[in-house]
Amino acid sequence: MVENSPSPLPERAIYGFVLFLSSQCGFILYLVWAFIPETWLNSIGLTYWPQKYWAVALPVYLLITLVITYILLFGINMVNTSPLDSIHTVTDNYTKNQSQKKSQEKAVPALKDIPISEVNQMFFIAARGLYTKS
Amino acid sequence: MEEPRNFSDIDGGHLALQRRCYSPSCREFCLSCPRLSLRSLTAATCSVWLAAYGLFALCQNSMVLSAAIFITLLGLLGYLHFVKIDQETLLIIGSLGIQMTSSYASGKESTTFIEMGKVKDVVINEAIYMQKVIYYLCILLKDPVEPQGVSQVVPVFQSAKPRLDCLIEVYRSCQEILAHQEVTSASS
Repeated sequence: MVENSPSPLPERAIYGFVLFLSSQCGFILYLVWAFIPETWLNSIGLTYWPQKYWAVALPVYLLITLVITYILLFGINMVNTSPLDSIHTVTDNYTKNQSQKKSQEKAVPALKDIPISEVNQMFFIAARGLYTKS
Repeated sequence: MEEPRNFSDIDGGHLALQRRCYSPSCREFCLSCPRLSLRSLTAATCSVWLAAYGLFALCQNSMVLSAAIFITLLGLLGYLHFVKIDQETLLIIGSLGIQMTSSYASGKESTTFIEMGKVKDVVINEAIYMQKVIYYLCILLKDPVEPQGVSQVVPVFQSAKPRLDCLIEVYRSCQEILAHQEVTSASS
Protein backbone atom coordinates (compact mmCIF):
# COMPACT_ATOMS: atom_id res chain seq x y z
CA MET A 1 0.00 0.00 0.00
CA VAL A 2 1.32 3.41 -0.90
CA GLU A 3 1.03 5.51 2.25
CA ASN A 4 -0.18 9.10 2.00
CA SER A 5 2.06 11.56 3.79
CA PRO A 6 2.42 15.31 3.40
CA SER A 7 6.23 15.18 3.25
CA PRO A 8 8.04 16.91 0.36
CA LEU A 9 8.81 14.73 -2.66
CA PRO A 10 10.58 15.51 -5.97
CA GLU A 11 7.30 15.10 -7.89
CA ARG A 12 5.61 17.57 -5.60
CA ALA A 13 8.41 20.07 -6.12
CA ILE A 14 7.84 19.84 -9.88
CA TYR A 15 4.07 20.27 -9.48
CA GLY A 16 4.67 23.30 -7.29
CA PHE A 17 7.06 24.90 -9.78
CA VAL A 18 4.69 24.30 -12.71
CA LEU A 19 1.85 25.85 -10.69
CA PHE A 20 4.03 28.83 -9.80
CA LEU A 21 5.08 29.46 -13.42
CA SER A 22 1.56 29.09 -14.80
CA SER A 23 0.04 31.37 -12.17
CA GLN A 24 2.67 34.05 -12.86
CA CYS A 25 1.99 33.74 -16.62
CA GLY A 26 -1.73 33.94 -16.03
CA PHE A 27 -1.31 37.09 -13.97
CA ILE A 28 0.91 38.79 -16.61
CA LEU A 29 -1.62 37.84 -19.28
CA TYR A 30 -4.45 39.33 -17.20
CA LEU A 31 -2.51 42.58 -16.75
CA VAL A 32 -1.74 42.76 -20.47
CA TRP A 33 -5.39 42.19 -21.34
CA ALA A 34 -6.59 44.81 -18.85
CA PHE A 35 -4.14 47.63 -19.55
CA ILE A 36 -3.06 47.52 -23.20
CA PRO A 37 -5.54 49.50 -25.34
CA GLU A 38 -7.88 47.65 -27.71
CA THR A 39 -6.37 49.24 -30.82
CA TRP A 40 -2.84 48.08 -30.01
CA LEU A 41 -4.09 44.52 -29.46
CA ASN A 42 -6.00 44.67 -32.74
CA SER A 43 -2.90 45.86 -34.62
CA ILE A 44 -0.95 42.83 -33.36
CA GLY A 45 -3.76 40.59 -34.56
CA LEU A 46 -5.55 39.66 -31.31
CA THR A 47 -9.10 40.68 -32.20
CA TYR A 48 -11.29 38.08 -30.49
CA TRP A 49 -10.40 38.67 -26.85
CA PRO A 50 -13.21 39.30 -24.31
CA GLN A 51 -14.36 42.82 -23.50
CA LYS A 52 -12.28 44.77 -21.00
CA TYR A 53 -15.44 45.21 -18.92
CA TRP A 54 -14.85 41.69 -17.62
CA ALA A 55 -11.36 42.59 -16.35
CA VAL A 56 -13.10 44.63 -13.65
CA ALA A 57 -16.35 42.70 -13.35
CA LEU A 58 -14.91 39.24 -12.66
CA PRO A 59 -12.86 40.21 -9.57
CA VAL A 60 -15.89 42.03 -8.17
CA TYR A 61 -18.08 38.97 -8.77
CA LEU A 62 -15.48 36.80 -7.04
CA LEU A 63 -15.29 39.01 -3.95
CA ILE A 64 -19.07 39.21 -3.60
CA THR A 65 -19.28 35.42 -3.94
CA LEU A 66 -16.72 35.07 -1.14
CA VAL A 67 -18.69 37.35 1.20
CA ILE A 68 -21.96 35.56 0.43
CA THR A 69 -20.29 32.18 0.98
CA TYR A 70 -19.39 33.09 4.56
CA ILE A 71 -22.93 34.18 5.33
CA LEU A 72 -24.46 31.24 3.45
CA LEU A 73 -22.32 28.68 5.26
CA PHE A 74 -23.36 30.09 8.62
CA GLY A 75 -26.99 29.99 7.51
CA ILE A 76 -26.79 26.41 6.22
CA ASN A 77 -25.29 25.32 9.53
CA MET A 78 -28.12 26.92 11.44
CA VAL A 79 -30.74 25.34 9.18
CA ASN A 80 -29.22 21.88 9.58
CA THR A 81 -29.08 22.05 13.38
CA SER A 82 -31.85 19.91 14.83
CA PRO A 83 -34.43 21.91 16.81
CA LEU A 84 -34.89 21.20 20.50
CA ASP A 85 -37.98 19.05 19.95
CA SER A 86 -36.39 16.82 17.33
CA ILE A 87 -36.02 13.08 17.93
CA HIS A 88 -32.51 13.28 16.44
CA THR A 89 -31.16 14.86 19.63
CA VAL A 90 -31.86 11.60 21.46
CA THR A 91 -31.62 8.68 19.08
CA ASP A 92 -30.57 7.56 15.63
CA ASN A 93 -31.33 4.94 12.98
CA TYR A 94 -28.36 2.91 14.15
CA THR A 95 -29.48 2.68 17.77
CA LYS A 96 -32.78 1.11 16.78
CA ASN A 97 -31.03 -1.85 15.18
CA GLN A 98 -28.19 -2.35 17.60
CA SER A 99 -27.56 -5.79 19.02
CA GLN A 100 -28.36 -6.55 22.64
CA LYS A 101 -25.65 -9.19 23.16
CA LYS A 102 -24.32 -9.50 26.68
CA SER A 103 -20.62 -8.76 26.97
CA GLN A 104 -18.31 -11.57 28.01
CA GLU A 105 -16.29 -11.42 31.21
CA LYS A 106 -12.84 -9.78 30.89
CA ALA A 107 -13.57 -8.68 27.34
CA VAL A 108 -13.90 -5.09 26.21
CA PRO A 109 -17.64 -4.47 25.78
CA ALA A 110 -18.90 -3.66 22.31
CA LEU A 111 -19.48 -0.06 21.36
CA LYS A 112 -23.15 0.83 21.63
CA ASP A 113 -25.47 3.66 22.47
CA ILE A 114 -26.48 4.05 26.11
CA PRO A 115 -30.13 5.16 26.40
CA ILE A 116 -30.55 8.70 27.64
CA SER A 117 -32.64 7.62 30.64
CA GLU A 118 -29.74 5.53 31.92
CA VAL A 119 -27.25 8.35 31.36
CA ASN A 120 -29.47 10.74 33.30
CA GLN A 121 -29.84 8.31 36.19
CA MET A 122 -26.09 7.93 36.33
CA PHE A 123 -25.32 11.65 36.25
CA PHE A 124 -28.05 13.20 38.32
CA ILE A 125 -29.29 10.58 40.74
CA ALA A 126 -26.47 8.15 41.41
CA ALA A 127 -23.67 10.72 41.61
CA ARG A 128 -25.31 13.33 43.82
CA GLY A 129 -22.17 15.26 44.63
CA LEU A 130 -21.16 15.78 41.02
CA TYR A 131 -23.39 18.70 40.08
CA THR A 132 -24.73 20.09 43.34
CA LYS A 133 -22.46 22.49 45.16
CA SER A 134 -24.42 22.79 48.40
CA MET B 1 -46.05 24.84 50.13
CA GLU B 2 -42.40 25.79 49.88
CA GLU B 3 -40.98 29.27 49.50
CA PRO B 4 -39.76 30.26 46.03
CA ARG B 5 -36.10 29.54 45.28
CA ASN B 6 -33.99 31.74 43.07
CA PHE B 7 -32.28 30.45 39.98
CA SER B 8 -31.10 31.99 36.74
CA ASP B 9 -31.84 31.25 33.11
CA ILE B 10 -29.31 30.69 30.34
CA ASP B 11 -28.95 34.42 29.64
CA GLY B 12 -28.43 35.32 33.30
CA GLY B 13 -31.97 36.58 33.97
CA HIS B 14 -33.63 35.91 37.30
CA LEU B 15 -36.04 32.97 37.70
CA ALA B 16 -38.03 31.84 40.71
CA LEU B 17 -38.95 28.19 41.13
CA GLN B 18 -41.78 27.23 43.48
CA ARG B 19 -42.39 23.60 44.22
CA ARG B 20 -45.70 22.38 45.63
CA CYS B 21 -46.26 18.82 46.85
CA TYR B 22 -49.98 18.11 46.85
CA SER B 23 -49.68 14.40 47.62
CA PRO B 24 -47.01 11.68 47.38
CA SER B 25 -47.87 11.22 43.72
CA CYS B 26 -48.69 14.79 42.68
CA ARG B 27 -46.28 17.72 42.41
CA GLU B 28 -46.30 21.08 40.72
CA PHE B 29 -43.35 23.25 39.65
CA CYS B 30 -43.96 26.94 38.88
CA LEU B 31 -41.18 28.78 37.13
CA SER B 32 -41.67 32.52 36.84
CA CYS B 33 -39.78 34.24 34.03
CA PRO B 34 -38.04 37.60 34.25
CA ARG B 35 -40.48 40.47 33.79
CA LEU B 36 -40.51 42.81 30.80
CA SER B 37 -37.78 45.32 31.68
CA LEU B 38 -38.39 49.04 31.37
CA ARG B 39 -35.04 49.41 29.65
CA SER B 40 -35.90 47.13 26.73
CA LEU B 41 -39.37 48.67 26.38
CA THR B 42 -37.92 52.19 26.29
CA ALA B 43 -35.24 51.13 23.82
CA ALA B 44 -37.76 49.55 21.45
CA THR B 45 -40.13 52.52 21.61
CA CYS B 46 -37.35 55.05 21.11
CA SER B 47 -35.90 53.20 18.13
CA VAL B 48 -39.30 52.93 16.41
CA TRP B 49 -40.05 56.58 17.02
CA LEU B 50 -36.60 57.75 15.90
CA ALA B 51 -36.99 55.76 12.68
CA ALA B 52 -40.44 57.29 12.15
CA TYR B 53 -39.09 60.78 12.78
CA GLY B 54 -36.27 60.15 10.31
CA LEU B 55 -38.84 59.01 7.73
CA PHE B 56 -40.95 62.08 8.47
CA ALA B 57 -37.91 64.32 7.99
CA LEU B 58 -37.45 62.71 4.55
CA CYS B 59 -41.00 62.71 3.23
CA GLN B 60 -42.71 65.45 5.35
CA ASN B 61 -45.85 63.35 5.76
CA SER B 62 -47.23 63.55 9.29
CA MET B 63 -49.17 60.30 8.85
CA VAL B 64 -45.84 58.52 9.44
CA LEU B 65 -45.70 59.78 13.02
CA SER B 66 -49.23 58.72 13.92
CA ALA B 67 -48.63 55.39 12.19
CA ALA B 68 -45.53 54.89 14.33
CA ILE B 69 -47.50 55.50 17.53
CA PHE B 70 -50.17 53.06 16.35
CA ILE B 71 -47.59 50.43 15.45
CA THR B 72 -45.87 50.79 18.84
CA LEU B 73 -49.14 50.33 20.73
CA LEU B 74 -50.31 47.38 18.65
CA GLY B 75 -46.86 45.81 18.78
CA LEU B 76 -46.74 46.06 22.57
CA LEU B 77 -50.21 44.55 22.94
CA GLY B 78 -49.40 41.74 20.53
CA TYR B 79 -46.11 41.04 22.28
CA LEU B 80 -47.77 40.84 25.69
CA HIS B 81 -50.52 38.60 24.41
CA PHE B 82 -48.65 36.24 22.10
CA VAL B 83 -44.97 36.27 23.02
CA LYS B 84 -44.20 37.30 26.60
CA ILE B 85 -44.63 34.36 28.95
CA ASP B 86 -44.84 35.26 32.64
CA GLN B 87 -44.98 31.88 34.29
CA GLU B 88 -44.57 28.27 33.26
CA THR B 89 -45.98 25.41 35.32
CA LEU B 90 -45.35 21.69 35.20
CA LEU B 91 -47.92 19.58 37.06
CA ILE B 92 -47.10 15.90 37.35
CA ILE B 93 -49.78 13.54 38.67
CA GLY B 94 -48.42 10.04 39.08
CA SER B 95 -51.34 7.97 37.90
CA LEU B 96 -52.85 10.44 35.48
CA GLY B 97 -50.34 12.38 33.41
CA ILE B 98 -48.27 15.52 33.01
CA GLN B 99 -49.69 18.97 32.36
CA MET B 100 -47.75 22.00 31.15
CA THR B 101 -49.25 25.49 31.46
CA SER B 102 -47.85 28.73 30.08
CA SER B 103 -49.42 31.96 31.24
CA TYR B 104 -48.78 35.04 29.13
CA ALA B 105 -48.38 38.61 30.35
CA SER B 106 -51.85 39.57 29.11
CA GLY B 107 -53.45 36.82 31.20
CA LYS B 108 -53.83 34.23 28.47
CA GLU B 109 -53.03 30.66 29.48
CA SER B 110 -52.20 27.79 27.21
CA THR B 111 -52.22 24.22 28.53
CA THR B 112 -50.94 20.91 27.24
CA PHE B 113 -51.73 17.58 28.85
CA ILE B 114 -49.94 14.29 28.20
CA GLU B 115 -51.42 11.15 29.72
CA MET B 116 -49.16 8.85 31.71
CA GLY B 117 -49.65 5.92 29.34
CA LYS B 118 -47.78 7.83 26.65
CA VAL B 119 -44.92 9.08 28.85
CA LYS B 120 -41.74 7.02 28.69
CA ASP B 121 -39.47 9.20 30.80
CA VAL B 122 -38.57 12.74 31.83
CA VAL B 123 -34.91 13.46 31.09
CA ILE B 124 -32.43 16.33 30.90
CA ASN B 125 -31.17 16.52 27.34
CA GLU B 126 -28.40 18.64 25.84
CA ALA B 127 -28.77 20.26 22.44
CA ILE B 128 -27.33 23.01 20.32
CA TYR B 129 -29.44 26.17 20.53
CA MET B 130 -28.26 29.08 18.31
CA GLN B 131 -24.59 29.42 19.22
CA LYS B 132 -24.76 27.67 22.61
CA VAL B 133 -25.22 24.16 23.94
CA ILE B 134 -27.95 24.17 26.57
CA TYR B 135 -29.49 21.68 28.98
CA TYR B 136 -33.25 21.42 28.87
CA LEU B 137 -35.83 19.18 30.45
CA CYS B 138 -37.92 17.12 28.07
CA ILE B 139 -40.61 14.44 28.17
CA LEU B 140 -39.97 11.35 26.05
CA LEU B 141 -43.07 9.74 24.62
CA LYS B 142 -43.44 6.02 24.04
CA ASP B 143 -43.41 4.53 20.58
CA PRO B 144 -46.55 2.41 20.03
CA VAL B 145 -44.69 0.21 17.54
CA GLU B 146 -41.49 -0.45 19.44
CA PRO B 147 -41.54 -0.83 23.24
CA GLN B 148 -37.99 0.44 23.82
CA GLY B 149 -38.10 3.28 21.35
CA VAL B 150 -38.88 6.97 21.69
CA SER B 151 -41.43 8.43 19.33
CA GLN B 152 -41.38 12.11 20.28
CA VAL B 153 -39.47 14.60 22.39
CA VAL B 154 -41.50 17.33 24.14
CA PRO B 155 -39.34 20.06 25.67
CA VAL B 156 -40.70 21.83 28.77
CA PHE B 157 -39.89 25.28 30.21
CA GLN B 158 -39.16 26.47 26.67
CA SER B 159 -39.38 30.19 27.30
CA ALA B 160 -37.97 30.20 30.83
CA LYS B 161 -34.91 28.12 29.87
CA PRO B 162 -33.48 27.50 33.33
CA ARG B 163 -29.92 26.38 33.98
CA LEU B 164 -28.77 22.96 35.07
CA ASP B 165 -29.13 23.46 38.85
CA CYS B 166 -32.82 24.24 38.53
CA LEU B 167 -33.32 21.41 36.05
CA ILE B 168 -31.70 18.88 38.38
CA GLU B 169 -34.18 19.80 41.15
CA VAL B 170 -37.16 19.35 38.88
CA TYR B 171 -35.68 16.17 37.38
CA ARG B 172 -35.14 14.49 40.72
CA SER B 173 -38.66 15.30 41.91
CA CYS B 174 -40.16 13.98 38.67
CA GLN B 175 -38.09 10.80 38.85
CA GLU B 176 -39.32 10.15 42.41
CA ILE B 177 -42.90 10.32 41.20
CA LEU B 178 -42.24 8.21 38.10
CA ALA B 179 -40.42 5.54 40.11
CA HIS B 180 -43.27 5.51 42.63
CA GLN B 181 -45.71 5.21 39.74
CA GLU B 182 -43.83 2.25 38.23
CA VAL B 183 -43.79 0.43 41.55
CA THR B 184 -47.53 0.86 42.04
CA SER B 185 -48.36 -0.11 38.46
CA ALA B 186 -46.10 -3.18 38.65
CA SER B 187 -47.70 -4.32 41.88
CA SER B 188 -51.30 -3.78 40.72
